[in-house]
Amino acid sequence: MLISWADLGWILLSLFIMFNALSVVVLSLTWLERKALGRLQRRLGPTRSGPMGLLQPVADGIKLIIKEDIIPSSSEKAIFWGAPLIVMLSAFMIWVTIPGAQDAVIKNLDLGLFYIIAFSVIGILGLVLAGWGSANKYGTLGGLRAAAQLVSYEIPIIMVAVSVAMLAQSLDMREIVAQQSSYPFVLVQPLGLVVFFIAGLAEVGRTPFDIYFAESEIVGGPFVEYSGAHWSLFFLAEYINTFAIAALTVLLFFGGWQFPGVELAGYLAVIWFLFKVYLVILVIVWIRGTFPRLRIDQLMAFAWKVAVPLSFLTVVMTAIYQFYGWPAWSLTLMSLAGLVWVGYAIYRRMAGPASRVAQTKKRIQARQEELMAARRNRAERTRRG
Amino acid sequence: MADAARNVTAPPLDSGAAQARPVSGEPVEMLLNMGPQHPSTHGVFRMVLWVDGEKIVDIVPHIGYLHRGSEKLCEGEQYHQVITLFDRLDYIANFNNEHVYVRAVERLMGLEVPERAEYLRVILCELNRIASHLLFIATMGLDAGAMTPSMFCFRGRERIQALFEAVSGARMMHNYFRIGGLKEDVPEDFMPRLRELMPQIREDLEESDKLLSFNEIFLARLKDISPVTAEDAIDYGLTGPCLRASGVEYDVRKAAPYSLYDRFDFNVPTGLDGDCWDRYYLRVQECYESLSIIEQAMEQMPAEGNVLSSLGRRLVRPPAGEVYVRAENPRGEIGVYLVSDGSDRPYRLKVRPPSFCNLSAIRLMLINTWVADSVVILGSLDIVMGEVDR
Amino acid sequence: MLNSIKGMFITLLSSAKGLREPVTRQYPATGNLLQREEAPTPVQPRFMGFPALTWDEGVGEPYCTSCMVCIRHCPTQCMSSTMKDNPLQAEGKSSRRKIVDSFEINLNRCILCGICVEWCNFDAIVMSHEHEMSTYVRNGDRVDLPVLLELGYKHQKETDWVPPTKRGK
Ligand code: SF4
Ligand code: SF4
Repeated sequence: MLISWADLGWILLSLFIMFNALSVVVLSLTWLERKALGRLQRRLGPTRSGPMGLLQPVADGIKLIIKEDIIPSSSEKAIFWGAPLIVMLSAFMIWVTIPGAQDAVIKNLDLGLFYIIAFSVIGILGLVLAGWGSANKYGTLGGLRAAAQLVSYEIPIIMVAVSVAMLAQSLDMREIVAQQSSYPFVLVQPLGLVVFFIAGLAEVGRTPFDIYFAESEIVGGPFVEYSGAHWSLFFLAEYINTFAIAALTVLLFFGGWQFPGVELAGYLAVIWFLFKVYLVILVIVWIRGTFPRLRIDQLMAFAWKVAVPLSFLTVVMTAIYQFYGWPAWSLTLMSLAGLVWVGYAIYRRMAGPASRVAQTKKRIQARQEELMAARRNRAERTRRG
Repeated sequence: MADAARNVTAPPLDSGAAQARPVSGEPVEMLLNMGPQHPSTHGVFRMVLWVDGEKIVDIVPHIGYLHRGSEKLCEGEQYHQVITLFDRLDYIANFNNEHVYVRAVERLMGLEVPERAEYLRVILCELNRIASHLLFIATMGLDAGAMTPSMFCFRGRERIQALFEAVSGARMMHNYFRIGGLKEDVPEDFMPRLRELMPQIREDLEESDKLLSFNEIFLARLKDISPVTAEDAIDYGLTGPCLRASGVEYDVRKAAPYSLYDRFDFNVPTGLDGDCWDRYYLRVQECYESLSIIEQAMEQMPAEGNVLSSLGRRLVRPPAGEVYVRAENPRGEIGVYLVSDGSDRPYRLKVRPPSFCNLSAIRLMLINTWVADSVVILGSLDIVMGEVDR
Repeated sequence: MLNSIKGMFITLLSSAKGLREPVTRQYPATGNLLQREEAPTPVQPRFMGFPALTWDEGVGEPYCTSCMVCIRHCPTQCMSSTMKDNPLQAEGKSSRRKIVDSFEINLNRCILCGICVEWCNFDAIVMSHEHEMSTYVRNGDRVDLPVLLELGYKHQKETDWVPPTKRGK
């Protein structure tokens, strides 16, 4: 017996609590996303169920669960059934070691960051299996897109995480947060934050990287054949992953539950942490409300030509900074230089189309002005003559 | 990429998917059936794509899911009832459709339309053009994956439709134009409402224009996607913005001015490359031109007057003969060929729908692009299936 | 890069405007499950809803004489009617010699074109503002004379309807 019964009971209890807490979080996220998106588009968002539509997610959940769960007859039954569970499992498992505050964690691991990254990769398998198992061509396309996209964006995430670990000299999440008590890492590694955030968006498939389930192209990709409870598992996992990426962004770069100057304890720390996480989520929703979607080849080009080299650059920069023991602002400067380079790279990539576009616009405008001038002249002449 | 697409010598498309062969000779991995139930095939259009990974090797379009036999139906309806059928051809640009039909009958009968009625028709048609283009911008954004522009555009469209409802009593299927004029005069508060509406539309248009047109991701998705040269565009019989995007300055309103269009100053914007972005942006610019036409029409329009010709409300029996009338719809050139045998029903009525002719270039445009591009390209053609299948 | 960032601020600005005056409204009722306030969509005065038959209050009978003009002009042939001798005319109360006996419109087929109203010479038919008449029954929207008259009477009351032939010329 490796662990005692009491320990086992305790672990099961905390897992149960985590499951429920995460479900509540997902409910709140769906509400928040719909409401915020609605407001961005000057709509009302959900209003009918409960005050301000707060009960809408619950209504949705009930509807999803009592909905008929259709399994296509030509699908691989076992894979079709198992895929959502795999996705779900990986989404939940990483939360075992993500701390909400100093003690609000199920099991703090010394190799916490490593564990999180290792487990988050498993989700890809679920998506590919879902796409393949549903015997649908859109599903297959989506699954393959998911594999390509998620595997390539895993690399920048890992490398940036490595650079953060180098800064904190630890893979323990609590330690990483503790190291940010004087200043959050975003100040010394802004480039890392940008790469991590973008790669994170791609990792959870949020706009502008919602390519593997692009509704307007491949109609939901791997999820196209799923309905009812199975679909809701994917849905759950997607939101938990979004929440996880937001939480990791806060933990790695925004100092977790650290409040500048004040030592927060207990619930206050958790609330402060959640506040930050929800802010990041709002930014994600904001981005969703603004941008179109990239194409798969552009996405891959961005991963391998921009994100991967940059993430390696963050590691190199951090290593130089750590090895020579330079002051912190030197790393900030290096990092900012990297950021400028990204901007320039995107600018260069877009320079051709952009100039062409500007030319078109100018031509049309010039003709409009000509016409206006001619009209004004004619009006002048009729007034005079 | 695009050059390769142009050099494809398209083999004749026989009926059925089985006959169409991949043209490039490469191994074909998968046959992807897109539509008729697909969120971005703009109705019930179906494409069978041969894809090699994500590359489109060949495509066979299938149409006819919305075939209602409109042209045949027209032969069984009296002339004033046909107007309701024309509302339902291009159901996004109803006024424009009604306009071209009533003009055909009027030409056949040699009917003079009161000036005020004609001005009102032009105003309503141009408003409808804006509404149609707003819907295009919205769906273009959605096809490219942006949600918000669609909401912005629908706001503007909603305002226009509210005005339409006040004028004709219906938001889309107006049945408002009559042979020889209009059903009734516009309500008294029409002009003030229109005056109030103009800046609002401009604002909505500008908002979505600023948000979408020059966004880097949007550019990356649309610029240089399936460019069509001017020769190809003419060969395939493209009309409307799809033709003008390739740099051909052809607009029926300018080339063969009908109605009152020779009284207005307006531009025919043309594109440089004929790619998806140009097709998109021309429509944005055309909205501004339409706004300026409406402004001029409001200035010139007689404040009082009859809106229905002396013929009044009677069964029309045009003299035997035939006529072909064309007009510039938001989607391109629409033509109506009408044969009358002197009875109260058309003997034959044939429509040249712009969407249908524009859609014929889909094969040229899609080959050698990506699956993700296919929806964008189809979106940039701006087809309305009601008109394609008739 | 710049345009993307500009775009972000456009959406932000729009949300600020949206908080003040959202462009959508709640339908078909405002409030929540507990406090429900009906909020039907407002329609313009000329709105063409389902056709309905009017009621001549002065005499106490429908305007419709079942002359079949509208039926012949309806593009979808969705109406039918029969006529009878008007009993009120025999009593000398009414000037209509014939009166409608039965009238049926299949509203599922009606395309709300308004041609019937345009061609009726007796002010007998109107396009009411009613447009929410879905039923769960197939052919549930096949309405007969009493329903049509009721619809029309409601419309007359709501809009202070004046017979078109009596409107100021
Ligand atoms: S509604 Fe008018 S046109 Fe129709 S049958 Fe009655 S009176 Fe005649
Ligand atoms: S509105 Fe049109 S379709 Fe409906 S009953 Fe009247 S004429 Fe027929």
